[in-house]
Amino acid sequence: MADEDQSELINLPNMLQAKVTIGGPGAVSPEVLEQAESMIANMTGNYLEWVKGDLVVLRGAFEALKTSPGNAKEKLDDMFRIVHDMRGQGGSFGYKLITIIGNQLCYLISGLDDAGPSEIEAIGLHVEAMDLVIARNMQGDGGPDAEQMLKGLEKVGSKFAG
Amino acid sequence: MTAYNLEKLKFLIVDDNDNMRFLVGTILRSLGVRDYRESGDGIAAFDELGHYPADIVVCDWDMRPMTGLEFTRMVRSGSDSTNRFIPIIMLTGYTEIQRVVEARDSGVHEFLAKPVSAKTLYARVRSIIEYPRPFIRASLYFGPDRRRKENLNYDGAERRIAPPKTLN
Repeated sequence: MADEDQSELINLPNMLQAKVTIGGPGAVSPEVLEQAESMIANMTGNYLEWVKGDLVVLRGAFEALKTSPGNAKEKLDDMFRIVHDMRGQGGSFGYKLITIIGNQLCYLISGLDDAGPSEIEAIGLHVEAMDLVIARNMQGDGGPDAEQMLKGLEKVGSKFAG
Repeated sequence: MTAYNLEKLKFLIVDDNDNMRFLVGTILRSLGVRDYRESGDGIAAFDELGHYPADIVVCDWDMRPMTGLEFTRMVRSGSDSTNRFIPIIMLTGYTEIQRVVEARDSGVHEFLAKPVSAKTLYARVRSIIEYPRPFIRASLYFGPDRRRKENLNYDGAERRIAPPKTLN
């Protein structure tokens, strides 16, 4: 931050504080915050529709990677973007496992420039796991089955770490 | 936790994912926000800021064709920018420290890791309201002060040269 040492400091009026009020009807009390969280939880139906659509697109991108070996990097990038969006949404709606598996898959994909049979197998296992989470409606931590599944995926991913 | 009434604040949501825009919009509405707009990319959002007097921008990092960081830099330093000082909350699936530093160096006020919730988004809005940050104009940076807290143990000379300026 050496550049900042030779700098000008500009103090701004706090325009936001002038626009908000504290307390009263409409204020974000702890109760309102809880209601807001419930409202998001009630959007699970919307989310399931979205994530099923994302899974179709993801499986399509994975098939493209599997069946035509050329331009693997481009196909991996496509997959990364889809999974990146999925991992960003799952946890908001109680599907924490989509976020966890999505994180692992993004990490795996981002370290690859090419995809041979072992990489494709590893990616496929993650895609199947994400499919399973939605097909079996595994919300929250998903219980012991999910724990086993995550351990297995971690082991698979660790072969490509680093 | 201070309970703010946010109904007079205007928000601009910038995300190339329709579902995320819908989610963030729903959260804002549930927090009492009445006036917000959405943009599907950075260029459209920059144009929107030209005629919509947003108070806070909630922007995704990973967008195409313009990333959230490029959008932030354009808002802060673009020659035709209409609101250089607007607070920007960056939503992202990235949580690595170098990413946080990169976001901070682009001129972002707050960083919010996905998955987003009503509680985490409100916490960032509250932080912007309660801890307004002065801006820094330096040769390589224009944006909110990156020194969030004063270092009380620092006993060296003040290194910033120009005296503080106050805008009304």
